[in-house]
Amino acid sequence: MADDPTRQLEERARAARAEFDAAVSAATDAAALQALRDRFVGRKAGLVTALMKDLGQLPAEARKAAGASLNALKQAIEGALEVRQAALAAGEREARLQAGRVDVTLPGRPIPRGGRHPLTTVREDLEDIFVAMGYEVYDGPEVEDDYHCFEALNMPADHPARDMQDTFYLDGPGGLLLRTHTSATQIRYMVENERPPEVRIICPGKVYRRDDDITHSPMFQQIEGLVVGKGITLGDLKGTIEVFLHRLFGPQYPVRFRHSYFPYTEPSVEADLGCINCGGSGCRICKQTGWLEILGSGMVNPAVFEAVNRRLGRNAYDPEQVTGFAFGLGIDRVAMLRYGIDHIRLLYQSDLRFLEQFPR
Amino acid sequence: MKAPISWLREYVDVPVEAEQLGQDLTKVGLELGGLERVGDDVVLDFEVTTNRVDCMNVLGLARETAVRYGKPLRRPAADVVESGAPASEVLSVAIDAADLCPYFAARVLEVKIGPSPDWLRARLEAVGVRAINNLVDLTNYVMLETGQPSHAFDLERLPAPGLRARWAKPGEKLRTLDGVERELSAKNGLVAASDGTPLALAGVMGGGDSEVHDGTRLIALEAAYWNPLATRRSARSHSLHTEASHRFERGADPAATRFALDRIAHLVVKLGIGSVRPGIVTAGAIPAARHVVYHPQRTNRLLGVRVPEGEHRRVLVGLGFGVEGGGGSWGVSVPTWRGDVASEIDVVEEVARHFGVDNVPATTPPASRPGRLRDDARFARRVRELLAGAGLHEVISLSMVSDAAQRGVADARVRLANPLSEEGDALRASVAFPGLVQALQLNQRQGRRDVRLFEVGAAFLPMPGAERPREVRRVALLISGPDPQAHWSGRREGADFAELKGLVDGLVESLGAPAPTWEAEGAPGFLHPGQSARLRLGDAAIGWAGALHPDVAAGFDLRDAACLAELDLAPLLAARAAVRFAPLPKFPAVSRDLSVVCPPGLSAAGLESIIRGAAGPTLRHVAFVDRYAGPQVKAGHVSLTLSLRFSDPDRTLVGDEVQRALEAAVQALAAAGAEVRGVA
Repeated sequence: MADDPTRQLEERARAARAEFDAAVSAATDAAALQALRDRFVGRKAGLVTALMKDLGQLPAEARKAAGASLNALKQAIEGALEVRQAALAAGEREARLQAGRVDVTLPGRPIPRGGRHPLTTVREDLEDIFVAMGYEVYDGPEVEDDYHCFEALNMPADHPARDMQDTFYLDGPGGLLLRTHTSATQIRYMVENERPPEVRIICPGKVYRRDDDITHSPMFQQIEGLVVGKGITLGDLKGTIEVFLHRLFGPQYPVRFRHSYFPYTEPSVEADLGCINCGGSGCRICKQTGWLEILGSGMVNPAVFEAVNRRLGRNAYDPEQVTGFAFGLGIDRVAMLRYGIDHIRLLYQSDLRFLEQFPR
Repeated sequence: MKAPISWLREYVDVPVEAEQLGQDLTKVGLELGGLERVGDDVVLDFEVTTNRVDCMNVLGLARETAVRYGKPLRRPAADVVESGAPASEVLSVAIDAADLCPYFAARVLEVKIGPSPDWLRARLEAVGVRAINNLVDLTNYVMLETGQPSHAFDLERLPAPGLRARWAKPGEKLRTLDGVERELSAKNGLVAASDGTPLALAGVMGGGDSEVHDGTRLIALEAAYWNPLATRRSARSHSLHTEASHRFERGADPAATRFALDRIAHLVVKLGIGSVRPGIVTAGAIPAARHVVYHPQRTNRLLGVRVPEGEHRRVLVGLGFGVEGGGGSWGVSVPTWRGDVASEIDVVEEVARHFGVDNVPATTPPASRPGRLRDDARFARRVRELLAGAGLHEVISLSMVSDAAQRGVADARVRLANPLSEEGDALRASVAFPGLVQALQLNQRQGRRDVRLFEVGAAFLPMPGAERPREVRRVALLISGPDPQAHWSGRREGADFAELKGLVDGLVESLGAPAPTWEAEGAPGFLHPGQSARLRLGDAAIGWAGALHPDVAAGFDLRDAACLAELDLAPLLAARAAVRFAPLPKFPAVSRDLSVVCPPGLSAAGLESIIRGAAGPTLRHVAFVDRYAGPQVKAGHVSLTLSLRFSDPDRTLVGDEVQRALEAAVQALAAAGAEVRGVA
């Protein structure tokens, strides 16, 4: 029985299987796997290939079953080789990934980072709020004349209100000056863009006063608003200012109006905002009052319309027909409040230690 | 204006505590600036606006209080017991200049000078006025009470027994109470003795020679109405600002002259300081009250709310206005202390103040047009976004610069007539220079080396023949120092011309304008002559760019070189072209590299132009990928390597076509003296 060819074939198949099983798990790279493939299922010298060739020596009745058995063995070996190959590939991939590991806590390579000036950010926010409310943004010159800056605003020469606006004058004839307030621009608009019955503009820009101390900069920025039309009321002024301040600072802050005095508006009112620093309980920022003075405003003084009409040579803005309101506020002040900047001159010193704090 | 609440309560019943009074008066236009407890009393400090000189006194504040709470106002007693010979026997008064002084009044008092009673001293000190002697203290007290400044002359020390108001003559001299010997001008109004001797700077300050002293027995007490403008000009000509000038400049109450004299006389007798000679000697006349026609409906329309008719009347009468008539049109007479009320709108404001802005409902006017940001404003926003995104920080620097520092910028500059200092005696003719260079200097001094800044703003250029200088909107930028991305992964070289050019061209193209032409000639003199350019867009010069001249950099004591540029915004805005889509290429491109040794004088732009001209339209793209100057090439020559990309929108190019185009380029280059080292 020992030389029964069928048994012998089975024995050799079993031995091959045992050898393969031992070798396959020891193969650690593609070359070893290829060697195994050659040794067991290679076309020329593969052990299983050789067994298949020997099938012909078996009795016919045993041949079929033995053939099926050898085919199964070949498939099992090829399958095991594929599994092993996939496992090795996965291992290599894993090793490569491991090799590519970075320290995620190292700082990233920075992109170039600049920023807009905080006054620009505030100014654009203000512009956007008013544009959404139907205002046109109008820019006038910084060099002005006495008519636009003072006279048409009901501040004739020697008016005491001029004391508060110490003015830079240009060398040379013509009495040119640097505008002390953006109110000059509302006059320029009415004179140059005469289109009653409705005016609705804001005029942001730089203004200049001969002050240079710890709390003043000789140049700063304001925004002026002007609305003129039939039936514009003090109620409209209040509503507009409230909406604006709430959009700018948030609806949680109360707005207070109180009467005041400006030569170019009458009645004049100032708007105060509940202190955004202390919430109204009193602090250094609001000088313990709980309120921040934020904005001056009022109903356009008919004397202003009359001054514009005189310049135009006709009754374009008839004070009997149209009324209006104007308001002005400091962009610097809003920026200082919003960001907690305690020193106005920082805004104009181009110091990167300051500028880099505003990454927008 | 400081007012103890105890003093206010003499004239009006105040139904609230001091804090509430302060808040309530703040709402009607008298802003509370401070509040201080002094013993049992509270001193309120109001910031009175320039138009409301009538509230620069306790009685005026009491009047506002009375109207605010609907209470009656009690005027202080001013009845006078007179004795002795009539005042007119020892004192005459006259007005020589009606434009200086419409009304002049005086009383004669016999007094014994001494200290004031304690209550008077305490009250003055509570509001910050130093007590001097009983008579001077009384004049100050009544000024604070009624708003009328008065002045006491020692009648026996006058060189002549009369007072006259006149203009000073240039060259006249007066020693004022502050001990200063002043040379007078025609701007100064005077109280002079009847023989002409100057005695006091009218409405501003008394003179030393006629001052009341301990031995004074006979007083000429003067109270006049001085013209506001005249007082203002006179005080300014001597840089003086006094309690008296502050009030007269803003328009005192002409009728308060007599009342103040009577009130002081009343107190002189009441306090046992002395006696009062009968009569007030006067010159001129108190101006008549102004009348204004008032339509209550105008107030209602302007406020947007119907104010009850009785409220209009209550406020006006309470403030001292006379009201006549009714219905739609009222005749209103303005009280003498309200020089600020001259027209109907001023009356409207009075009613509005006391009706109260809180009682006006808030509304918003409907917009009839959409809002709008103009193109130039939107464009400036885009410029800022692009440069901030490119790693530059925006600065806003003062428009005032040193004229000496910007001499190299422009021949004609706009100078200021009254600068604060030489550092700011002109308006900048350039945004970049010296402004951004000074900013760099400041940051370098703080140890910063990577400095990248930009500014958008106006440069001011004088326009010969024009009324005003031109304000040109520009963008300026400056880069200096090593790359800001100093980083463990590597560090780049410092900022240089090429980086500047990349920034400028990138900015301009991102703005939608064609890339400017860079011309080596014509840049400003503060730039490096070999690393600077004038920029053109078509025919228009739109700016300049370059490295700062080493001498200039040394003058600023700069550690690193700097590159800067400045461009006009308007031509860039105008040059924006509409974007049109181009179909994506359907056929592959062919790339070739070309190494060329350029002789001196052949610029990169010249080289590119020769190649493009020779190679024809299939050459779509030229890139400069390498540059070499050194021992491998002749002195003055530069080797440039270009990457050329050929394609045709309609078909695939064949190798021969590309080869022919390259050969044409090589021949054209050779004709221009440029040797092709290699084609790949």
